[in-house]
Amino acid sequence: MKKRIIKYLILFILSLGSLVFFNNNHFLYKKDIVKIQKLETIEKSSSFNNLGLEEKYSVQKITAIYLNNKNKGKIITIENEITTSSVVSETYRINDELIMKNNNIENLKRDKYIALMSVIFVLVITIVGDIKGILTISTVVLNSIIFYLGLKLLNNYDNLILLCFIETLIFTITTLIITNGLKRKTYAGILSVIASVLVLSLITTIIILITKYEGVSFTGMEFLTIPPEQAFIASIILGGLGAIMDVCITISSTFAELIEKDKNISKKALIKSGREIGKDIMGTMINVIFFTYLSSGLPTFVLAIRNGYSVSNYLQTNYTLEITRFLIGALGIVIAIPISIYICEKVLLRGEVNE
Amino acid sequence: MNKLLIIILLILMVIVGGKRGIKSFLSLCINFFLLIIIFYFTSLGLNPIVLSILGSLVISYIVLFFVNGKNIKTISSMISVIIVLIILSLGIFIISDYMLLGGFGFESFEEINMFSYDIDFKMIDVTVALVIIGLVGATIDTGIAISTALFEIKENNPLLTRKEMYKSGMNVGKDVLATTSNTLLFAFIGEFMTLLIYFYSCNYSFFDIMNAKVFASEFIKIIFSAIGCILIMPISSYITSYFLSKGLFKDK
Repeated sequence: MKKRIIKYLILFILSLGSLVFFNNNHFLYKKDIVKIQKLETIEKSSSFNNLGLEEKYSVQKITAIYLNNKNKGKIITIENEITTSSVVSETYRINDELIMKNNNIENLKRDKYIALMSVIFVLVITIVGDIKGILTISTVVLNSIIFYLGLKLLNNYDNLILLCFIETLIFTITTLIITNGLKRKTYAGILSVIASVLVLSLITTIIILITKYEGVSFTGMEFLTIPPEQAFIASIILGGLGAIMDVCITISSTFAELIEKDKNISKKALIKSGREIGKDIMGTMINVIFFTYLSSGLPTFVLAIRNGYSVSNYLQTNYTLEITRFLIGALGIVIAIPISIYICEKVLLRGEVNE
Repeated sequence: MNKLLIIILLILMVIVGGKRGIKSFLSLCINFFLLIIIFYFTSLGLNPIVLSILGSLVISYIVLFFVNGKNIKTISSMISVIIVLIILSLGIFIISDYMLLGGFGFESFEEINMFSYDIDFKMIDVTVALVIIGLVGATIDTGIAISTALFEIKENNPLLTRKEMYKSGMNVGKDVLATTSNTLLFAFIGEFMTLLIYFYSCNYSFFDIMNAKVFASEFIKIIFSAIGCILIMPISSYITSYFLSKGLFKDK
């Protein structure tokens, strides 16, 4: 009980600390930050698009005070054009903090909200998930740092795919060891993940060679300074990795459990249970990535349809990338099932499970 | 390319999953169809938030009852999903509104510059709808995992009390959570990677990234999916153990 109180106390102090920090970190910014004190909205005009939809334009006259750097305490007035839809504009409110660039508004200061959501997430996961929740958080944080640093260290992106494979290796090893500990089932899981990723990359490469990206439009990635195909392959491999790990961990853990309960379990029985688990998790896991990936097309969809584009037109251009990403991720989940069954059976049946 | 991928996916799903593989594939097609319908009705001008909640319920209904059949496991999952959706949609709305997440960040202007921006549509609602739809899959996944496991546990130990069942439900949930949060994180990384490369090539600092709208929208989407997974753990454990101990829906 006492341990628990201390744990929550530490958690509470850390959360409060990070919230206070992100609400008062203006001194770390090189860019100027202003806080809105007064607002005046003046309606300007309306415009109609080619479908006859009316859009109202207004101007916000903002009086704001500098919060940092050499202008601290000074007052500034800014004009901000807004529209009712806010497709590309932002309607600010009193007390909003804005980041400035050359006396123009660059962005709303969002980091304090990001911090708030992270704190809520950490609190919820530790309260509900306890120790396992904390382990989960640490893998998530660790993986994010590895990812962030990996890309930062790479200054030319010619080796993006190579980096991606190296990161895959690091991610897999750290995540599985943290979640499962140094056990035989962990090694079986790691081997399965690596084999599945390799097979998935092989299949993807073959498909790309056959079809030459026919029907896939890279309009969403034109802003990149490197060939979009390369970034795309790297991003789908990393994107599918989580789901593949999920499958392999589930299968290796269940196999380890089954063998522990019945040391003389036959190879046939093991494979049969593996297939049953595979059937159970396949559909729901594919659903997870289905909604995660495909929901992000909604804003562009609304924009396209309300500009008079047809649904099929949208599906064949802007949406293709998202669909390809999802399909390859789903493929990863499906192939990881037999591969992990095969490898886990070979590795785990050979001897003691938890040595 | 996508056609070939769909064919390969179907073949593999049948080989690995047999009859259930076909069923999963069918439900995937229905989900896609539903998703486009939700998208379409949204773009017609119906309220995106209401539409996404209703749509998510229809999707859960199909995923749970069509693929897994109507029984105590799926009924309790369905109720849990409804509760989670109601709690979270309010939170999503408030935070998206505060963070001004409607519309597009200037990083994606190149993608959308062929369109007119005068569309007479509140883009903030679209963002909320997107986050709600995004979290359905992960939430259902955790919910059904817990109720199925609890059902099996009760079958093997019929004498378990409600409290004990609740506890085992939470234990199962924690295992699911650890792996699902990785699925979500990497889906996020996959989507975010190209953006990050862009950020680096434009010399964005850490704070520039933290304040960018594109980053914030992706972040909120993933974090709410994860929170959905976590919230459904106690809810689904409680409801399933309640049903099991009262012997409700046994005949189904």
